[in-house]
Amino acid sequence: MINVTHLTHAYRQAPWRVQRQWAGAFLLGVLALAMISALYLDVTSQAAIIGREIQTLQYDTAEIQHENADMQTRLASLLSMKAMEARALALGFRPAEAGEIHYLVAPGYVRSTGVSLAVSRPQAGAPSTPPEYTQSLLDWISDYLQSPAGGIAGGVLP
Amino acid sequence: MKEFSMRREYAWRSIFIAALLPVFALTVVGQMVRIQNSPEAQSFRDQSDSFAIVERTFYPERGEIYDRDGHLLAGNETAYTVGVNISNMLDATALAREVSAQLGLDYEETYQKLLNPYGLVYVPLANYVSSEAIAPLKASYKKAAEDAAAEYQLSPLSGLEFQPTLQRHYPENELASNIIGFFNRDARGNFGVEEKYNNLLAGVPVKAWVPQDPNRAAEIPKVPNGATLILTIDRDLQAAAEHSLDQALFDYGARNGTIIIMHPRTGEILAMATTPRLNLNEFWNYGNFYNQSYEFNPAISMQYEPGSVFKALTMAAGLDTGAVTPDTTYNDVGYIVVGDVLIQNWDRRPWGLQNMIGCLQHSLNVCLAWVSTAMGQDNFYNYMQRFGFGRPTGIDLAGETPGRLKTPGDIDWYPVDLGTNAFGQGVAVSPIQMLMAVSAVANDGRMVTPHVLYGMVSDGRQVNIQLEPSGTPISMETAHTLSDMLSISLENEASLALVPGYRIAGKTGTAEIPVNGFYDNTQTNVSFIGWGPVDDPQFMIYVWLDRPSVSIWANDTAAPLFAEIAQKTVILLDIPPDSVRLQIAHP
Repeated sequence: MINVTHLTHAYRQAPWRVQRQWAGAFLLGVLALAMISALYLDVTSQAAIIGREIQTLQYDTAEIQHENADMQTRLASLLSMKAMEARALALGFRPAEAGEIHYLVAPGYVRSTGVSLAVSRPQAGAPSTPPEYTQSLLDWISDYLQSPAGGIAGGVLP
Repeated sequence: MKEFSMRREYAWRSIFIAALLPVFALTVVGQMVRIQNSPEAQSFRDQSDSFAIVERTFYPERGEIYDRDGHLLAGNETAYTVGVNISNMLDATALAREVSAQLGLDYEETYQKLLNPYGLVYVPLANYVSSEAIAPLKASYKKAAEDAAAEYQLSPLSGLEFQPTLQRHYPENELASNIIGFFNRDARGNFGVEEKYNNLLAGVPVKAWVPQDPNRAAEIPKVPNGATLILTIDRDLQAAAEHSLDQALFDYGARNGTIIIMHPRTGEILAMATTPRLNLNEFWNYGNFYNQSYEFNPAISMQYEPGSVFKALTMAAGLDTGAVTPDTTYNDVGYIVVGDVLIQNWDRRPWGLQNMIGCLQHSLNVCLAWVSTAMGQDNFYNYMQRFGFGRPTGIDLAGETPGRLKTPGDIDWYPVDLGTNAFGQGVAVSPIQMLMAVSAVANDGRMVTPHVLYGMVSDGRQVNIQLEPSGTPISMETAHTLSDMLSISLENEASLALVPGYRIAGKTGTAEIPVNGFYDNTQTNVSFIGWGPVDDPQFMIYVWLDRPSVSIWANDTAAPLFAEIAQKTVILLDIPPDSVRLQIAHP
């Protein structure tokens, strides 16, 4: 009996050891929470930066489209009938008279049937962004919990 | 013992503090939870939600308009709205001074707008400012911001905003204005192609909810531009036609005029010149040019009595019914009575024995009235309806008039109309109707549908338009026979409409203008419709002049104008003379 009591005393944790374990566990929890918070902050800040960049790019795209339209119209004005006629006259050209035109047979010449303004490749649509790139961590957890396959019933994580 | 007592004291203090801190923390958390779930919090959340996402409408860029060779006729350019965001404004005086000086606005008015915004957060100062006009103001704004930043201050021009938007621009100004129409600042197409194809050009606006929170970046919906239209118009030919028309108005003292050039095989309108023409970039001057909407494009909107060009169609009907042949003779005594009314020739004199070519060559009213009576009213009006009179041709331009063809049974139709209609009196047509009807003669009996749309481009794909003929009012044999008759009649009279090197068929028309119910023989509208080369028609031209003062006769005015246009047409369309063409075809 005495031996058994001695053994129990020998293997019982010292009180300070128990306290230290509790403190360690608590600190571990705090550390985990801090890591998750840091991760969350990092992801959300990056998402915010990217989101702002996307907004800026969208404005840039609109501006470039306006510039394109401007330049196309300006070019057309420079090549307009009146402008080209004035340039031609200034360079010493004049409209040809009927008697001055000579028609020649050019073998293999195929006359153009009309202008083609079709572009060779289809216009690229906006790329489809997967939700992983737009969701915050909380969004992801919220969606997971609200999805039929998620939550308590468990299931495959998205 | 004392040491033990102290340790116990410290232990209690530690336990007390350790207990107090979680209570404090729990209190903070509890308060956070309480605040977050309070009714006020819900209202704040609702407010935040209403600002977090805004509904935006994305308007497509309006489609462009090109001619058949790819020259831009209507495009878009950036224009700016200049305004001030009152909440960011620091110095109203500086803003008013700079904006009024750079944009030519009244300083006092601008200043008062900024001082008294009447509750507006954003005060617009100038709309539709061009890129060139706004450049100096933008430069001033940038310099002021840089200077202020160097001194760690805010710019005196703070609050000034430039909002870009696209507006319509027409690089060719007046050229083909009657065909193109214009797009006004109420975002609506007016007249011509701009109105007819407004929905296609405008595209489909897309509404979408866009998050303001950058953390919730969303895709902006892809908004396809409006369809780009390619017209059948040849810019160079259009310019040539307009130039010739302007010169003809001057030379012949005419008030207005119209020239239409069409491909008689396809119905493609190659040029359509009218007067007066509006600079489409200054469409707000519309009221200075036109009193009535039909004046914008008289080629399709104006109705008038065509006169003798109509005789070609009466003869076509007569030949097709078998009532007459080219060799049929008619003894013209200078008058004929139809419906108890006396009808006379244009010169009031008899022309004696004539065959049908002679009737056309001398443009004899009496002879053609006889042809219409010979075929009978049912046949005559049946043919005129088959030629499309009394209804729109369906040309793809806004504002077409159907004209008017009175037929037996109408309350205002009289038996004499059968005789007068035969030479183009008592019938109201538009130039485009005449062109479509006579195209049956030039095109083996098949009547084309006139149109200006060559093709359209949407989402990068081009679709070209091919229209079916509008009908076959006469047989191929009739068409060929009449073409020959008209060609011979021009050659016999050595018409001024002839084009050296090309065989042309055509008919003049001189129509007296009714004034107060009576025809005034001093005021006429003159016209000529012709096509060539006769054996393989590549162009068809209708020329119409209103009240020429130099001569009232089409032979002296419309015919030479036709020849001039035809000459330019064969050059610009690379149509070789008949001898060269036939040599190439049969070497």
